[in-house]
Amino acid sequence: MFVGLIALWWQAMRRDPGEISQEQVRRLQNRWILAGGLALPLGSIALILALGIPAGRNMLPLPPAGGDAMVIEVKAYQWGWRVTYPDQDIELTDELHIPTDTPVDIHLTTADVIHSFWVPRLAGKLDTIPGRTNVLRLEASRPGEYRGQCAEFCGIGHAHMSFTVTAHPPEEYEKWREKAQADD
Amino acid sequence: MLKALWRPTHPAHTTLGLILWSLWFVALYGGLSVACELVPPTLEQGAVNWLNASLLLLTLATTGVLLWLTQRCWRAAKRFEGSSQERLIAQVGAGAHGFSAGAALIVGLPVTALPPCL
Amino acid sequence: MTEPDPNQHRAFERVWGNRPGWGALAAVNHTSIGLRFMGTGIFFFLVGGLLAMLIRTQIALPEQEIIGPETYNQLFTMHGTVMMFLFAIPVLEGLAIYMIPKMIGTRDLVFPRISSLGYYCYLFGGLIILSSLFLGIAPNSGWFMYTPLSSAEYAPGPGSDFWLLGITFVEISAMAAGIELTVSILRSRAPGMTLSKMPIFCWYILAMALMIVFGFPPLILGSILLELERAAGLPFFQVAGGGDPLLWQHLFWLFGHPEVYIIFLPAAGIVSTLIPVFAQRPLVGYRWIVLAIMITGFISFGLWVHHMFTVGIPQLAQAFFSAASMLVAVPTAIQVFAWLATLWVGKVIFSLPMLWVFGFLVVFVCGGLTGVMLALVPFNWQVHDTHFVVAHLHYVLVGGMFFPLMAGLYYWLPHLSGRMPSRNLGNWGFWLTFIGFNVTFLLMHLTGLLGMPRRVYTYESGMGWDGLNLLSSVGGFIMSAGIALIILDVVLHFRFGKPAPRNPWNADTLEWATRTPPSSYNFLSQPRIETRHPLWDRPDLPDTIAAGAHGLRDIGHGRREIYGTDAVHARLKEVIHLPTNSWWPLLSALALAVVCISLLIRTYPLALVALAVATGLLLRWSWENGAHPKAAPLGLQEPTDPPLHSRTCDGPGLWGMAVTLLADATLYLSLLFSWFYLWTVSPEWRLPEETPLALAPLVLCGLLLAAAVALYSRMTQRLRLGQDRNLLANTALVALLGVLHTAALIGVFAGADLRPTELAHDAVLMVMLFYLLFHSGLATVATGLQAWRVKLGYLSARLPYEPMVLKPFWMYTLGIFWLSVAVFLLLPMAWGSA
Repeated sequence: MFVGLIALWWQAMRRDPGEISQEQVRRLQNRWILAGGLALPLGSIALILALGIPAGRNMLPLPPAGGDAMVIEVKAYQWGWRVTYPDQDIELTDELHIPTDTPVDIHLTTADVIHSFWVPRLAGKLDTIPGRTNVLRLEASRPGEYRGQCAEFCGIGHAHMSFTVTAHPPEEYEKWREKAQADD
Repeated sequence: MLKALWRPTHPAHTTLGLILWSLWFVALYGGLSVACELVPPTLEQGAVNWLNASLLLLTLATTGVLLWLTQRCWRAAKRFEGSSQERLIAQVGAGAHGFSAGAALIVGLPVTALPPCL
Repeated sequence: MTEPDPNQHRAFERVWGNRPGWGALAAVNHTSIGLRFMGTGIFFFLVGGLLAMLIRTQIALPEQEIIGPETYNQLFTMHGTVMMFLFAIPVLEGLAIYMIPKMIGTRDLVFPRISSLGYYCYLFGGLIILSSLFLGIAPNSGWFMYTPLSSAEYAPGPGSDFWLLGITFVEISAMAAGIELTVSILRSRAPGMTLSKMPIFCWYILAMALMIVFGFPPLILGSILLELERAAGLPFFQVAGGGDPLLWQHLFWLFGHPEVYIIFLPAAGIVSTLIPVFAQRPLVGYRWIVLAIMITGFISFGLWVHHMFTVGIPQLAQAFFSAASMLVAVPTAIQVFAWLATLWVGKVIFSLPMLWVFGFLVVFVCGGLTGVMLALVPFNWQVHDTHFVVAHLHYVLVGGMFFPLMAGLYYWLPHLSGRMPSRNLGNWGFWLTFIGFNVTFLLMHLTGLLGMPRRVYTYESGMGWDGLNLLSSVGGFIMSAGIALIILDVVLHFRFGKPAPRNPWNADTLEWATRTPPSSYNFLSQPRIETRHPLWDRPDLPDTIAAGAHGLRDIGHGRREIYGTDAVHARLKEVIHLPTNSWWPLLSALALAVVCISLLIRTYPLALVALAVATGLLLRWSWENGAHPKAAPLGLQEPTDPPLHSRTCDGPGLWGMAVTLLADATLYLSLLFSWFYLWTVSPEWRLPEETPLALAPLVLCGLLLAAAVALYSRMTQRLRLGQDRNLLANTALVALLGVLHTAALIGVFAGADLRPTELAHDAVLMVMLFYLLFHSGLATVATGLQAWRVKLGYLSARLPYEPMVLKPFWMYTLGIFWLSVAVFLLLPMAWGSA
């Protein structure tokens, strides 16, 4: 679309139209503006929204079919991430461990300023806001280590405020959990 | 004074539609935010609940009014010749009303698909 | 080409010219002020560009420690701040101030002293902000200053104060320009130039001016609230006291998004002006473009939340804003296709300005497409706050503003220097800039998609970002080389350029009917304009204007006079007499600068003294109006058909007041928004058990105000009918009622049991009370001065102008008083009892 428009513009600058009557200009005006100025953008918008809204709905943290999602609490601070597994007595810093193929709700809070929790390969980003708890749904389909980083500028340490999310297959995750609880 | 304002060739009509659109937009966003704080509908209802329904109704009513105003200006524009001042204003007015109507419809339509407070 | 009669020219220059030497600082002439705005803006552009080069140097390679995080944070904060507030907006305002009177066929803007005040506020404010950089205490929280990172706890140094106070100071200039451009375009067009015959550029500037009027107040309020929080501990943005940090984001982006269009619209106006000239055909789809301008103006106020998609707002609300954001593509597409159609039907003369227009199209359309992508919520969640957004915003702003500005620069350069620029150097400048820009920012899209967040001062190697960043930095330096060439070209052309013929591009608009460079009075006689393309349809106009064949050619009276016409049909209504060179704007701006600096160093007694001095100066300034001997004393050589504006009931002053009140009302609405926002959304908002204000005295106070307003309004009605019996007594009585009312209000305030540092509720109430007090006090003082003017004979049945200007202010004061009582007092009481 972009290339087409530029080419059209280039052509318009180069060509010599000869004599054109007022009536022809009016017809051209209405045709071009209706087609290019109204139909083109409105059509694209309708298409994008039709695709985008259902995609957005699928990312909502709606309760999953089989009961509640697993919950991990993450509190951001200048400059790091405190990770708590509620009722499980596990506390970590700058690292999360999750089972694969399981919806996980990250409950995001902050101890000081606004940060933003972002694991590019797993989900979009969500800010941590003072006084509020925001919920982000994560689900990893493949085991592995995913890099995450603070995405909202938060002061001097912002550039180094990264963390990792490690996804384990469910059995290995259980093993990790028992070990972590024993360590604490 | 009011009568002159209401004439479709008055310059006020070039912005009236957009002002109505803005008011509707404020009501839509403000209403949603306030309702979600005070009396949120339950999650299980999804997109079918009283809040979305009233927002949809508001949207349709606004669109209707704007379409009526579009038609009014459009007909007025046809009564004037050439490129007179009156014709320009009535045409721009029709365009602005028409765009506002379309904009209200497009912006309002997501209420049919998404749950309100999540 | 006829030159005007030299005697006539000298006589006009004596009245309209600036004073020699240092006296030029007292200049109020729009040509001088416009040039000063643009010159200063270019200086700040170079500063901002230098900061960008430092930023690109630091992140050219991974894990560098050349600059360090603290300085880096100051650099990018200042880069954004300088480019947005000290370059983009002022330069475009300057262009509008320079061009608009010439395009609408008049000699100056209607409030020339306000232009001058605006310029000095901009200059001093800009220098104050810039000084923080050299002191090493620049703001470091990013140019949008998100709380709580920018609040006292996490930014204890004075950096944020520099930003808040400096920017608010600079914004006085934007508000001034917004108000006077609106009124000038509506009320001083050449007779016969109806709205439909106005040059398209004026439509763009009118929209920009009105958007400034409605767009800036939310940020001004936000800055005031945040500065109050930082300096006095009022918890507007602190959760513990019942405030909410997200309120800042709402107020900031309520301003911030319209601002993008405040920058884009005038630039698009340049494109719409140039294309028909170089195609030598009238613009195709004039009314479509007018429609597109209006739509842009409105819609842009409905998208602010798209900067906040990741703060956790319900997805349905995000969908509204997402759809509205995409709708902006419609008016933009209308304009692009109208331009295209104009080029299509015309035989295009390809010259340097058109090269820049072509560059604009390529870059801006690209930026527009990524913009539509960003408006899509799920995509936004991924790339928000990455370098993708940085690339997008530079495509939109540089493409949408800088490229058209350069096109305009080359187009109007002969107008302001009388010489043509060179073709060769200019071409090199364009291509270097264009290539450098695309190398820098096209690649940055990729860096962002690869997950590099914005505002990091360094990054680890091996993330796939290394090579791209290095290339981006190289591109940045190529672009700077291009800009250096352009500057060289412009500087050289003043010395070596070929003298420009009159109207060198064969343009259709009136600014080319002046001399080049222009004289201080623009037009020796003011013509009637019957067509949208005056210079195409009447090529002899420049000569007949210079020969004095049209209106207002008399200068013997020594007044600066222009025609005042009605807003829609441009029917001749009055002769507006404008003030001449004046020191008051400079002195007032200096006093305000002292206020600003003393607030920065927290020396509050000094701030109070300076504020009193500034108020005194501003009132003294307002004294030289109407029938004052320095303005237009009653008597000799007075035109009656049409009359002088100060002898009428409806002049530019009334319109200026109306537009000012629109801005003022927007400020008040922003306060109401903050109140309701905190009340409904803030996590720990608390209403006190008992209302802290005493209701009965407040009602009494309001009744006094109502009496004053009723009396004043009856007085103005009688003045309108030509009756001025008891005018002095009436005015004095209104002033007395105003004093009683203000005293009662102070009493209520003093007796109120407010705990503003503990409760956001009380803090908002306090701001509201100060707001009311300011209006009541100002109305009272102004009326008192009017009583004095009645006594001196500056105000009478023959001179009814000034009360007409003040009356809307009284009405507004009454309106906000009772609205405040209802919203801030009765509503919480009703809520509490329910």
